[in-house]
Amino acid sequence: MSDVDLVVETVRDILTGYEPFVLTAERPWDAGLWSALAEAGLTGVGVPEEAGGSGGELADAVAIVGALAAGAAAVPVAEQLLVAAPAVLAAGLDLPAPEEPLSIAVDGAVTAEPRDDGDGPGSWTLTGTATDVAWAGVARHLAVLASSPVGPVLALVDVAGRDTTHAANLAGEPRGSLVLQGVTSAGALLTDAQAERLRARYALARAVQLSAALQQVLAWTVQYAGERQQFGRPLGRFQAIQMELAEMAGEVTAVAALVDAAVQAVERDESPVLAAAAAKVRAGAAVEVVARLAHQVHGAIGFTQEHRLHHLTRRCWSWRDEAGTETAWARVLGAGLLADGPDALWPALTRVV
Amino acid sequence: MGSNSLTLAPAPRSAAAEEVRAEVREFLAAELAAGSFTTHVDTWLSGVDPAFSRKLGERGWLGMTWPRQYGGHERTAMERYAVTEELLAAGAPVAAHWIADRQSGPNLLRYGTEAQRAEILPRIAAGECYFVIGMSEPDSGSDLASIRTRATRNGDGDWVVNGAKVWTSNAHTSHYAITLVRTSPADPANRHAGLSQLLVDLSLPGITVNPIRILDGGHHFNEVVFGDVVIPGDMLLGEEGAGWHQVTAELAFERSGPERFLSTYPLIAEFARRASDPAQLAALGRISARLLALRQLSLRIAGALDRGELPDIPAALVKDVGTTFEADVIDEVRRVVDVPASLDSPDALGRALAEAQLHAPGYTLRGGTNEILRGIVARGLGLR
Repeated sequence: MSDVDLVVETVRDILTGYEPFVLTAERPWDAGLWSALAEAGLTGVGVPEEAGGSGGELADAVAIVGALAAGAAAVPVAEQLLVAAPAVLAAGLDLPAPEEPLSIAVDGAVTAEPRDDGDGPGSWTLTGTATDVAWAGVARHLAVLASSPVGPVLALVDVAGRDTTHAANLAGEPRGSLVLQGVTSAGALLTDAQAERLRARYALARAVQLSAALQQVLAWTVQYAGERQQFGRPLGRFQAIQMELAEMAGEVTAVAALVDAAVQAVERDESPVLAAAAAKVRAGAAVEVVARLAHQVHGAIGFTQEHRLHHLTRRCWSWRDEAGTETAWARVLGAGLLADGPDALWPALTRVV
Repeated sequence: MGSNSLTLAPAPRSAAAEEVRAEVREFLAAELAAGSFTTHVDTWLSGVDPAFSRKLGERGWLGMTWPRQYGGHERTAMERYAVTEELLAAGAPVAAHWIADRQSGPNLLRYGTEAQRAEILPRIAAGECYFVIGMSEPDSGSDLASIRTRATRNGDGDWVVNGAKVWTSNAHTSHYAITLVRTSPADPANRHAGLSQLLVDLSLPGITVNPIRILDGGHHFNEVVFGDVVIPGDMLLGEEGAGWHQVTAELAFERSGPERFLSTYPLIAEFARRASDPAQLAALGRISARLLALRQLSLRIAGALDRGELPDIPAALVKDVGTTFEADVIDEVRRVVDVPASLDSPDALGRALAEAQLHAPGYTLRGGTNEILRGIVARGLGLR
């Protein structure tokens, strides 16, 4: 068993004690699951030990995020492990303890004014509203991408006790806004390219979640089709149902191959922007087919709250448009591939992943 | 989970493949500049140009993975993949040799006699010998177990063949047809028994090739009629009665390559010259994301072939997803440009749209219909 398999096994063992539940404003996340993951050191994977983490590679962090996504786990692990923690570390800021949930905000109009003029990380005053904040009200710390007169800034805000508005995505996951008026926080100047890579990492994190969730939706649907009897035989024996399941499998397999390749591009430290954009767009497009057919095969039981299917399909419907909408990333990909002129499209396509 | 048999390991990155890719790119740029070909969609079936095929043979880009003793170059499937992909993306005229290089050659390597290999493989690798797939019949499309073309032994040990094959691409410009025939009577208890493959020289007496035109007026389809054609006894390919098994193995080569998602790439390239507004750029992005995923799947299959595997179920999946994409490209482009499709359009994009549209019904049929392929994928999911 590889290290990655071992990590996935550990996550699955923990998940068995925490069934997905319907998220509400009163119960916006699975605090118990988070504690169990933190206790096992899983909320610091991919973060070096000298920075307070548990060590391990990006592949381990990706595997954890995938396993949790497949389990519809209501915890901000994707944001922390794949996006915010690596960004905070790369910016030279002090990373909060891994057991305190850390999220990311890249949208909204937050401006940063420098309070000192030292090089590298410094102190900044933040003003404005961070919107579409994943796990608003849940995360203890927030990495905020802000703009300043001298370029993009990544600021680290302690949000304990701050007011957040509660909004939710289609699955009930908190996606609120946070008003910052003259808040002093640590931050570091980024290059435009670094800011672009941060957004891309966020999109790729959602693509990793989508890929894992879509694989699970397919597995559930195949299982259901094998068990559910109609007209005297299992649904899966009907050719019409087989066609639908095969179509789902085609989508799921294509997404997995591209998302894996995009993760590997990041591991090789190549510019991940177009690879992440492609993975996000492809995964989002697959949601159309996979979620529709999964519900079709499951029949009416599949769109009740008592059945597990919605925990994943509702997340998929939201994730495809989070961290940059599918359409926005499609434009980034299309324009990026034409950067060297239209005649260089093919060479560009063979370079992306 | 149930989809394990559909999943292959990621393909290792290959510096050798990138090297040969660069060489092919340079060659194609020079050929285009010299006007030796013009770009079209779907050229792996409709772009017959023996002179171009011979040039590829001279460069060592045919029979790439075969042993040197048969004229091959002992290169990897990943290197071959890079070459085929570059040729398709350029819309180059590769149809003359395509079937021979892709599947007939590997088929001969696997099942052929030493004499068959020594005689034919070097000629394929040189770009001088072309093949036809003789599977479908007028009453048997994807249902190959129902074929009726019959071969019986005469007193001299030769085969006498009667029947007809249809949808044979480029039979009128090819030298051989690997023909699936019934060599013993149909057995209702075992529909796949009693079939064999014969290596048929298309110049033999008794063979008639009748053209069948497709929607743009082009001629690559044919009907091939066999009337008491005498095939020498040593032209059996592989084992008598093992035809079904051999055909199944062959189909993994037929279904998995980049031609299953790049038939309409020249249309994408033409669209890219036009794409500028946000809706067009997004459409190009959506198309590209799908293409990139298909490349990864197809590369994984090339990697599996290098490991000596025969990934028939993943190949079926690639062909299903890939050929659906080839046709969807037309619709994605149409929705965001104001260019009517016409073969006579003064606009290159209008001509590319017309070619792609008129060829489109074929994408999801050739090499097994998508319904057949989904049945195979469903088997991979454990449903049958």
